[in-house]
Order: sequence, then structure tokens, then C-alpha cells
Amino acid sequence: MTNMHGMTPTQRSNRRWITVSLLPAITIFALLSAFPVFNLIGLSLFKVSWEEGKAVYDFVGLSNYKYLFTEEEIYWAGVRNTLVFSVTVVTFQMALGFTMALAVMRAGSIGRPLLTGVFLLPIVIPPIVIGTMWRLILGREFGLFNQILDFFGAGPIDWLGNPDLALGAIMFVDIWHWTPFVFLLMLAGLEGLDEEVLEAGRIDVRSFWQELRHVLVPMMLPTIVITMVFRIILSFKVFDEVYLLTSGGPGTSTEVVNFSIYRVFFAQDRVGDGSAMSLVTLVAVAGVIVVANLVIKLARRRASHSEDES
Amino acid sequence: MFDQTKKLPKMTRRAVNGLALAALLSTSAGAVLAADQPTIRLAINQSPWLDSFIAMVDKYEDETGNKIELDVSPYAGLLEKVRNSVRGAEGEFDLLNINSLWLSEIYSGGFLAPLGELSDGYALADGVLTYGDTVSWNADSNTFAADGALMGVPLNGNVQVLYYNTEIYAGLGLTEPTTWAEVQSNADAIQAAGDAYGFVTRSGRKSIVYNFTPYLFSHGGSFFEVGADGINVTINSSEGLAALDTYVGLATQSGPPSPGAVEQGDLIQLLSTGRAGQAIAVIGAWGGLENPEKSAVVGKLNAALIPTGAGGSASSAGHWVGGIPANISPERQQAALAFLTWFQGKDVQTAYVQAGGVPVRGDLAGGALSANDTYRFIDAYSANAANAVMGLPVPEASEISSAVALQLNRAVIGEMTSAEALNAAAADIATIMEREGYTVTRGDDL
Amino acid sequence: MSGNRAGIGRVFSNTLVWGYALLVLGPMTWVLSNAFKYQIDILTGKVFATFTWRNFEQLLFSRQSHFLDNLLNSAIVAGTSTVIVILVASMAAFTLTRLNVPKWVRWTVLGWALLFQMLPTLTFVSSWYMMFKMTGLHGTYFAVIITHVVFNLPMALFLMMTFISALPQELIQAARMDGCSYGAIFWRIVMPLVRGGLIATAALMFIFSWSDFAISLNLTSTDTMTAPVAIATYAQEYEIRYGEMAAGAAMSMLPALILILLGQKFVVRGLLAGAVK
Repeated sequence: MTNMHGMTPTQRSNRRWITVSLLPAITIFALLSAFPVFNLIGLSLFKVSWEEGKAVYDFVGLSNYKYLFTEEEIYWAGVRNTLVFSVTVVTFQMALGFTMALAVMRAGSIGRPLLTGVFLLPIVIPPIVIGTMWRLILGREFGLFNQILDFFGAGPIDWLGNPDLALGAIMFVDIWHWTPFVFLLMLAGLEGLDEEVLEAGRIDVRSFWQELRHVLVPMMLPTIVITMVFRIILSFKVFDEVYLLTSGGPGTSTEVVNFSIYRVFFAQDRVGDGSAMSLVTLVAVAGVIVVANLVIKLARRRASHSEDES
Repeated sequence: MFDQTKKLPKMTRRAVNGLALAALLSTSAGAVLAADQPTIRLAINQSPWLDSFIAMVDKYEDETGNKIELDVSPYAGLLEKVRNSVRGAEGEFDLLNINSLWLSEIYSGGFLAPLGELSDGYALADGVLTYGDTVSWNADSNTFAADGALMGVPLNGNVQVLYYNTEIYAGLGLTEPTTWAEVQSNADAIQAAGDAYGFVTRSGRKSIVYNFTPYLFSHGGSFFEVGADGINVTINSSEGLAALDTYVGLATQSGPPSPGAVEQGDLIQLLSTGRAGQAIAVIGAWGGLENPEKSAVVGKLNAALIPTGAGGSASSAGHWVGGIPANISPERQQAALAFLTWFQGKDVQTAYVQAGGVPVRGDLAGGALSANDTYRFIDAYSANAANAVMGLPVPEASEISSAVALQLNRAVIGEMTSAEALNAAAADIATIMEREGYTVTRGDDL
Repeated sequence: MSGNRAGIGRVFSNTLVWGYALLVLGPMTWVLSNAFKYQIDILTGKVFATFTWRNFEQLLFSRQSHFLDNLLNSAIVAGTSTVIVILVASMAAFTLTRLNVPKWVRWTVLGWALLFQMLPTLTFVSSWYMMFKMTGLHGTYFAVIITHVVFNLPMALFLMMTFISALPQELIQAARMDGCSYGAIFWRIVMPLVRGGLIATAALMFIFSWSDFAISLNLTSTDTMTAPVAIATYAQEYEIRYGEMAAGAAMSMLPALILILLGQKFVVRGLLAGAVK
């Protein structure tokens, strides 16, 4: 039965659905994220100072960006460190998280909830506690790690004070902290896989390693990509660990981008420069994501070529 | 919702209420406890001295009946809260606890109501410390100046003192040092003995500028000078070099292996566990160091005047100033002023010390407090407080501090020589200040 | 021969997994034990030390501390914002991936979401403060909740899209041919089938909201302060009060952990088996 407009009740309900389902998300974004983002972009072109209780906006065009590229040596040291940091931790977290998810899948009815609970602990702890806790553990004088080393007769290692080791220490803490994120998503992805397609795939496969390469990973690819993208974004936003463990030092060995932005935007109240930094960082993150995606595409193409050849 | 400010254990609260009621009933008409000011809201941070401050707030409320609501934030978040409050159309807080490092930003922004405008001819009580004139601000020269407008009253007096471990000294037959050379020789002796570090510096990037300041000024140097015609960068002078050499020497010769990573918390940890023989640290840490739950060296530390050099003795000011924002109602401003005035009283300050705080008056030395061993820091504190300086008395302090900190830190960890670090620091200061529109002059590079 | 390689692979992965488990449990128990020690014992790294309830006393009963209220606030904020963000994101995700939506809508929404996610949150806080102050909403639960929602929305959106698009297209087409409306498809077919992904996403959104510090610090008042901000007050200028922090962490971890483990029980494997039939 159709009405005068030529639509069935279902069709009208469908039209309504499209609006109703998208409206909340769009409204929330519009109301709460539009102003802050445009404000940020705008601020990057200004120098803001305060006089007599009021803000004074001084339009400086691109000079904040120019200053960023020529004078802010600390920021660029941060970019280098963050790139190294990001690539390393995301790689480890993806590998480790995936392995953990597979292990939990195969574990028995007691092992599963137990392991899942243990694996989730690091992200359930408030980040500030993680920072201070590892500061204690990695401390030179009385830290747990050095106490264990001392037990075996080895000398104390200055995990956080040695410029060569400090970044490694921070990466270690970040991997410890965020692998559960990957684990959780990989687990959900694996459990959502269609059992029948899996079985079909397993017929042609001779070893677990092959099953992994040719069946599991391709099927999990969307989940893997999304997890990786968000891990990259989050790794660029690393802050708590650095703030609490080393404050960017010694020298610039653990300076990271988000920490530089925090320092410039907040501690120094240079909102124009901080905004410019944020936007430049945005471009860098986007760049890393694009590169990561390309790498995956190339790996897939090579994998499917080798399949065609065999 | 609920309006809670402080929570006493239930029994005590009932007891206090009972007493208050009894007091009220027992007085005649014209009750002593009638409040004559509106309740004011104070933004303050959680800190070791907060309890002693709260004790004073309680005292104020008991004595005058006026109420103060405390909003306690983490230290890391207080600046943002203060900024948000003063920048809005209507302030959230009536009294702000401002750290010395933020003073130049808050003063120059015109956010506070000068006390002279709230009450004609208002001046601090005699004996109240000004910590390097940081309670007043000259808007024309854009810096702290004794002849500028009075902007606030110190709420906690925190300056650096020289700490030393009396037990270690006694064991090695050392005496309290008065010059930098004596500090170094004491340090060498302690370091050689092997149980503790001779001298610990705060050379981490967050702390080093603040920690280096007394060395710089006591050698007769400075970061820069603010004149009528601009800024003269002076850090890379021969005095500056002498200061940095002394500092790097103490940091690397007779201290922990990675001084470049030591921040305030680490320093105090070393002191409290008995692993540091000497150190320059803030007097605010005293309370924790005398607390058996937090320290292994209770009763074994003493405070002394920071060593004297060619330029005398200096101490970095790390105090807190109470300011009254301009964007609140006049009644609340007067209420806040009433508290600030009350707070300066000598008896209040004495009570403050007895509750565990650091006083803002310099004239408590040599009195009843000094005789008491628990407060044996008072004399050294008062002497150091008289020499308090603000190394970077301009609104761009934070930016300059970040840049200079990196260079100084590099000198300590050996990435640069002292001369290179100072030259780099001078260049950074010049770049920053020129960008801000100052006329900058510099001496020749070292 | 698959035997040996699978064997080595298995041993390797087991070592990795149990190694990580140990690395988690070790420091965790050590930190939790700090909740019962005096500060000086924590500082000197004593493994066995005098037992004390002092830290919990300070945390729960001292004058400036309202930790139980803070925990409750955290629960309210995290719980509500998670429910909202999951609902909003799932509905939008379904429509964007499975239904005919103009390409520009899809690209704008997702592109904006990604852009927003990549910028540092810290820089937006002052804008939000201003907005809420002007509308008189500063310090209310609503302000924090809705900010957490927008903060988590990009990730929730993308994650739900991934899980929903993993569902076979035939399923949805079959339902449409049967005359089901989009809404019915969403509620009765899609949602039950993505339960695993839904719970994982919800768990993450809850954790992010529960652990948030920067937004809560500036948008809450004393009444609505959340647990992470309260715990942060123990990281002070001169010292970090490890004992109180550990006590606070212990108390704030429990609710989050319990909720997530409960949630895991609802995940059943192989839900899709036979669904297409």
C-alpha cells in the first residue's frame, strides 16, 4: 500500500532512520568540536597577550609557523624522538597484542577470564599512577629493577637518567601500558570471525604459521588496520609517561611532541605558537598513517603475488 | 549538591559544633562569631603545607566568623584553573594562591586588583617579606619593583636554604660551610666516604634554572637586566661562567651519577633517605623531612645560609602570593583583603609555623620559635628569605626558563662546555625577547 | 612438516604471553603493596615493611579529601558517557557503512572525526571551559559527560564501523528483502551480532573516560571532581605521595576491572556460525 508520495511506511521509516542515526553524532561534533578546532586553526595565525584583564589578539600571519621551523629546536628534537617512539611501540604492541589474543582464544575456561583480567590491568590503572609507579621501579637508587639486578650482583643501571637509555625506558613503559588496547581489539576481532570461513581456509593450509599468514591476518585486516591507526595517533599523544618519568630530559633525549606542545601552550602561555605546533603535528601524524597504510598495501600485494605464483 | 569544604572525622565535628554552640550561647548579645564578610572562595593546591594553611583558615573562621571555601587542585592543574578564573567575565575564585613562577604572567595581564585600589594607601605590615619585591609590579617597566603597585600578600614563604646532614658532618668532622669552596671540599669528603653523595643538585630540565639562580647571583651575575631602554642580556658574563663552573663542579664531581635527571622529588628523596650529605633545596620540604613516616633522617638535618660569593648570598624565591582578582564583586574583594590583612599578624604567623607552615614574616628569628628544636630552621630561613631573588622577573619568564634550562642541562650532562651553554642561553634569551618587542643588548660571547 | 614449527611457535608465543602476564602482575602487586606502606619505606624500596592503613585513612578521611564521592562521580561520568557514545557511534556507524549515504556525508563525518582525534585534546580544554562557563554549565555532570562523549566519539565510530562491516552483506540484504526497516535491522540483527566488538569498544571508551584527567580537571568543580584528578593531587611539588596514590589506584581500579570482566562474559564465540542460513 502506498501513499500519495509514493513511499511505503517502511521507506519513510528508513528515511527517518538515516536522519535519526546520523543526527546525534553530527550534532555533537558540530556543537562541541567545531568551535575548538576552528579556534585552534585561527589562533595559530595570532599572537595572544593579556593586558588589563583582556585578551589582545595580534595578527601575525604565518610568522608563528616560520618561528616554529627556524627556532624551535626542542620541538624538532621531539619530532625525531616521537617518530622513533611511535614506530617502535606500535610495532611491538601490535605483535604482542595479537599473540596474546591468539593465546587467550586457545586457553581453557579458567585460563581465559584469568588471562584476560591480567592482560587488562595495565590500561585500567590511572595513567598518572602508571607514571609514578614506573618511576619508582626504574629509579636508580632504590628501584625494583635495580634491586633485582643487585641480587644477581650486577651494578645499578640508571634507566631514566642515562640519556641513551631513557627513551628506551619510556618505550618499555608505553608498550606495557598500551598492549592491552591492541589485545582487546584483536580478541574481539578474532572472536567475531566467521567460523565457517575459517574452516574453509584451514583446509588448504599446512601449518599454523601459514594459517596465520593466509587466513587469519587477511580476515582480520580491517581490525588490524584500524587498531594500528589509532595506536599511531595515540602514540603521538603520549604525555603522562614522559611528564612523570623524565620531563623530556636529560637533554632532549625523551622530548616528545605532545610534551612540547603542552609546554608551549600551557606552561609558557604561547597559544599562537602552540596551535601552530599542533597543526604541524597533525600533518606529521597523517603522514605516518598514510605511510603505514602504504606499507600494508605493499605487503599484501606481495603476499597475493606469491600466492598467485605458487 | 553538597557544599563541603573540609571533612573532619564525625566525632571531632560534633565536638566542635557542640563547643561552638556552647560558646555562642554563653556569650551575651553582640555575638563574637557573627560573620561580617561574605564567604570567599580560595583556589589552592594540594601540598605538604596545605594542612598548616587550613589550620590558619580554621583559626580565621573561629576568630571572625567569616568563612572561606577551599578548592584544592593538584599542583599541575592550579595554573590553568587560576587562568580560566581570571580571564572570564566573572571570576570563579575570590582569592588565588599564585606561585612565584606565575606572578609575572598574572601581574602583567592586569587580572588582579591592586591592593592600593581596594583600600587607600594599603601596605604590607612591617616584617612581612617581599621576596625580591615580588609582591609589587610596575606596569610601565613590566617588572617587579618596590615602588610599583602592591598586588598581593605572600601566603607561604618558600625560599631555598642549604641543607646538610649533621650526622654525616659529625662523622667526618665537617663544619657548616660559608663559601662555595667550602661546600665543594665538604662534598668531596662526603663522597669519598662512600655512604652518601657529597652534594646533590637539581639539574633536571624542569628544575635547573631555579636551582642555578642562587649560584648565579651569589657570584655577582644575573640572567639579564631590565632597564628603561630595554633588556641587557648578562648571563654569558665572566661572573656567569664562574657560577656555572661551580655548579657543574658540584653536580658532577661529588653527586649522583646522572645529575641531569634529578628533579625536586628525586632530590628530596635522596635527602630523606640519608643518601645526600648536602643540598640546596626549598625550606618547604622541611616538614616532610622531619616526619618519621616520610623520612629516615628525622632530627639529623639542619638548614643554613646559602654560601656567599662575590655577589653576596642569594636564594631563589619559590613562594606563593595571595592575589585578589579584579573580576569579582567589591564585597568579595574586601572580604579577601580582610583575610590577607589578618594573615600577616605576628601571632598568626607564629601559629602558622607551629602548625607546620613556613612563615611569610622575616622577624620571627631569634624569638621563642628559634629556641625550640623543632623549628630550628627559622633563623636560616629568615636569613635566606632576606636574600630572595627572582631570576627572571618578566612575563616571558616561562619561555626563557625552558630555553635556558636546556642549555644549562646540556652543560651538566657534558654535551656542551659551560661557555658554550651560556652563549647559547644568551642567544636564546635575545631571540625570545626581540620577538616580544624588547630592545635587546648583549655583551660579547665568552 | 608442521609439527616442529608449530611447536616452536607455540613455545615462543607461550613464553611471550606468560612473560607479559608476569611483567604485569609483578609491578602491580608491588604497587598495590605500596598502599600499605609508609612513604619512607616506599622511597627506600623495601619489599617487606611495616604494615599501615595510614594511606587509606588519608585518602578517605582527611579534611580535603572526598575520595568516595570522587569515585562515584567517576562512575557516573564514565558510565553515562560510555552508554551515550556507544549508542550514538553504533547507529552512525551502521548507517555510514551499510546504507546508501551520499559519499560526501561519509567523507565529511569520518574525515572530521579523524582530524579531531589527531589534534591534542589539551588545546581544546580552554575553549570548552569558555563555552560551558558562558552557558552556565560549568561544573555540572552534563558538561563533563558530553565532553567525554565527543572526545571518544571518533574512536567509537571507527571501531564500530570495523566490526559492523565485518558482518556478511548477505545477512543484511536478506533482511531487507524480508521487508525489515533499517531500524529493525539495526536493533534486531546487527547489534546482537557485533556483541563482541561492541563490548570491547565499550570497555575501551569506559576506560578512556574513567582515566581522563585533563578534561575533568578543568570542567569539574569540587562537587563533581573525578577520581583521577583526586589521585593527581598526590603528585605534588616536592614529593609524590606514593602511598596515597597506590591506595587511590587500588580503589579506582576495582570498579573498572569488575565491569570489564563482567562484560567479557557476554561474549560468545562463533555467533555467526549458521547465521547466514
